[in-house]
Amino acid sequence: MSAGGATTVDMVVFGVLATLTTFFALFTITRRNPVTAVMSLVATFFCLAGIYASLSAHFLAVIQVLVYAGAIMVLFIFVIMILNREEVAPFSLRPLRVLGVLAGVYLLVKIIDVVTVGLPEAVPGAAPDGFGTVAAIGDVLFRDFLYPFESISVLLLVAIVGGVVVSRSHQKEVAAVEAHDYRHQIEELAHHDYPGEPPAPAAPEGYH
Amino acid sequence: MPTTYYLVLSFVLFLIGTAGVLLRRNALIALMGIELQLNGGNLAMLAFSRELGDLKGHVFAFIIIALAAAEAAVGLAILVALFRGRQTVNLDEATLMKR
Repeated sequence: MSAGGATTVDMVVFGVLATLTTFFALFTITRRNPVTAVMSLVATFFCLAGIYASLSAHFLAVIQVLVYAGAIMVLFIFVIMILNREEVAPFSLRPLRVLGVLAGVYLLVKIIDVVTVGLPEAVPGAAPDGFGTVAAIGDVLFRDFLYPFESISVLLLVAIVGGVVVSRSHQKEVAAVEAHDYRHQIEELAHHDYPGEPPAPAAPEGYH
Repeated sequence: MPTTYYLVLSFVLFLIGTAGVLLRRNALIALMGIELQLNGGNLAMLAFSRELGDLKGHVFAFIIIALAAAEAAVGLAILVALFRGRQTVNLDEATLMKR
């Protein structure tokens, strides 16, 4: 970022990236095919990473590409692979949802009103030295936010375990229960056919 | 760039995400809408962080990204379980607790 103010280059870059972001986001929620939606979501995240970089958030821009465009998107693609279903009618507009849309539009108008009135139009001054670099963020993260950072690891662990438990197949358990019942049935039947008979006749002792 | 522009973009993103969550029937697209909402929030965090010259916003954004990853994993696992049980990912058909 330039120190003096918004240069023409900044304006053009932001304009292009913001337009592309909005366009791809709209594309994401309007496509019928989930694969197209995911691809435009990836494009949205890439454009957003560019916008993050223009806010001198270089570390976050890299993380955005790694985590969103990398990990989360692969997850989405895999799930689409498992359950790819074309929709008959993608949008559902019931009376309650129409109300929700109206409320959302009202909220949008109000928020833009508040934002454009409440904040100065001035360009923020030059970022401090090393703003948004890995070193600077690491300093804040491991000094002031150590416990939240550690609790993220717990959260991720819980998410992993939860994901495995929720999505695991129950077929093996059902098969095991059925096998157990089956064995039980066989034993009962055997008992029914030969009541009172010892399971295996033992060889008499001392018989030659 | 003035912070206001970034904020307006972040609200537009959040609204698009909300529209996706509320209007789409496909649960996958609804999850994508949630991701868009989280990204809108992140953009606002980073914009304010730049405005105030304070790196705490970056840390929050970092935490939100980790949270989004966890949310996507669990959400998609629930979708897979829903599909196993009821052969649908249509949100209007997941009405087991309604009856």
